[in-house]
Amino acid sequence: MSVRSQLLKGVLDGCVLSIIEKETVYGYELSKKLQEAGLDDVSEGTIYPVLLRLQKNGYIRGDMRPSESGPNRKYYSLTDEGRAALNELAVEWERIAEPVTSLMKRGNKND
Amino acid sequence: MISSKQLISENNEKRKLLNKENEKYYGDLLLYIRLQMRLSEQQSEELLMELLDHLIEGQSEGKTAQQIFGDNPKKYADEIISELPNERPGHIFSFIAYLAFNLISWLLIIRGAVTFVFSFFKHVDETVYIVKSGLSTILFIVSIGAIIWYLFFLVRKTLFNERSSKRKDAIKAGWLVQDFSLSIF
Repeated sequence: MSVRSQLLKGVLDGCVLSIIEKETVYGYELSKKLQEAGLDDVSEGTIYPVLLRLQKNGYIRGDMRPSESGPNRKYYSLTDEGRAALNELAVEWERIAEPVTSLMKRGNKND
Repeated sequence: MISSKQLISENNEKRKLLNKENEKYYGDLLLYIRLQMRLSEQQSEELLMELLDHLIEGQSEGKTAQQIFGDNPKKYADEIISELPNERPGHIFSFIAYLAFNLISWLLIIRGAVTFVFSFFKHVDETVYIVKSGLSTILFIVSIGAIIWYLFFLVRKTLFNERSSKRKDAIKAGWLVQDFSLSIF
């Protein structure tokens, strides 16, 4: 497993929750939005185990209903629990991301 | 909510839209997940439908199943299976009990017919020995269960192999017939 995919594994749940918080999406849309956000090397299929896990934890809900274009699709929306979990995750992420970013900054080592 | 039976028949229709390679990849994934009898049927079928929809959309953009789900379908399927919820124990029990009683009733019908025909030609002892018949019925049910388990085991072993063989296809065909007959009930 590459360094990148190991790092991503820990934060993918948060990324997926963030997208679902903005709007209800179905699987294919979700993978498209991850790619548009710049995570274009995440294999599309990896979202499905993540979605199942988030459902099991009660963070999101999946409802099968007809889509605008016709066929039934499973749309995911955030639950109250999911919103709380995402808030906590976002705070924790900031507390990690800022110090790590400044620690790992290259080029100005002689400051 | 769309019932699992509806999802299965919709899945059968939609699978025809896949090209040969994607059909093979997805077909193995589908059988492997459906063979896990302890999983919630509803949740499994909903997930299989999502994967199929995703693959069909991806295919229209020129993507392959490998690109979407990864190079290791077995590993991917195991990951999914570990996250899928289990079927309610009551549901599993009633399903097995249903099959067992079905089997017993057929057994009794056949036995009755045979005894009836034979009674024209010679005297048939119609005494029923509870313990003996009970034991042989249990033995019969258990051995049928073992055969089914072995068939599942065989099919599971043939999945995700690069080479396709006649034997494998025959076993799969057998399974699909069974799948079909199960969905009729």
